[in-house]
Amino acid sequence: MKRIFSARRNALLPQQAVSRGAVAVAVAAALYAFSALAPNAFWAVVSPAFRASDALASGARSFLAGFGNTAALAARNEDLARKNSALASENEALRQNSADVTALVSAAGSGIVASVIARPPESPYDTLVLAAGAKSGVARGMEAFAAGGVPVGFVSEALDDFSRVTLFSSPGVVTDGWVGQANVPLTIRGTGGGAFEATAARDAAVAPGAVVFVPGPGQLPIGSVVRVDSDPLSPSVTLRIAPAANPFSIAWVSLRATGVPPGAFASSTAP
Amino acid sequence: MIRTIGMLSAFSSAIFFPWPMTACLALGMAIFEPWTPLAAGLIVEALYRPHAAGLPWFAAAGAAATAVAFFIRARLKTGIVER
Repeated sequence: MKRIFSARRNALLPQQAVSRGAVAVAVAAALYAFSALAPNAFWAVVSPAFRASDALASGARSFLAGFGNTAALAARNEDLARKNSALASENEALRQNSADVTALVSAAGSGIVASVIARPPESPYDTLVLAAGAKSGVARGMEAFAAGGVPVGFVSEALDDFSRVTLFSSPGVVTDGWVGQANVPLTIRGTGGGAFEATAARDAAVAPGAVVFVPGPGQLPIGSVVRVDSDPLSPSVTLRIAPAANPFSIAWVSLRATGVPPGAFASSTAP
Repeated sequence: MIRTIGMLSAFSSAIFFPWPMTACLALGMAIFEPWTPLAAGLIVEALYRPHAAGLPWFAAAGAAATAVAFFIRARLKTGIVER
């Protein structure tokens, strides 16, 4: 009997003349070209998706928090209410004192407040995309500060309505600072993922917990040493530094011109 | 249909999830659609890469993963045809 050959369909073989993947690459390349040629329009189109992502994330957090231990949540709620009341009183006293100080600060003292559209870890390059651009007075080289006046990065790109902040923790970014009460000078290197590292002499005796500062109005804390890695054969140690402001949850930043030129923050490999 | 949903999930995860999740989804879909890692890398670069930066690392990694996926598919395809 003649055997009729029938080609079995294989799930791994494409079933169309033009594969979906090739179409996807063409669309992705078009998106990349769009972002390069008209970045302001590109971000105007995609920013609603990021807003929806933030809303979804906060909704999910609220939903999952409802599954927590009720007694523990009630106790934590009471503790937070007590602390909130104490902080409100302290805040009021500080507000009275700061009224005089604010009068002495220049008009650019408070800076431009901008909301964050995209942040790590969605962004793999340790950058923030802000919903404020040149029309709001944002200029390249301005320094970005998170809550509490913690410096987090600098404006590397300013479009009409949006801007991009490169974090100090971005790989390739080098910042000068110092650590601890002994003010040991450091060259702080970004390692990505919101973290930094620096090299110090073993004799400096830098311990975990030491606060790392960068120059600014006064001295500004940028993070703290969480681990000291040492090689017995080396005269220096590597300090692993965690940021003071969590870049994964920054919602607002304040932008100020601190007078440092745009290229002064970055090494030759950074934007 | 499932492939299309998988690919769209990988691309949309670049906005909704951390980039390691995007990478995992893209690599998982590479078995069925080898171009997915390259497309995902280009989308990540379009969204997040500062335009004055150096090499587009994520697009390059996507291209490498796509090349590996095509190579693996070619080996599998040969094996199936010879049977």
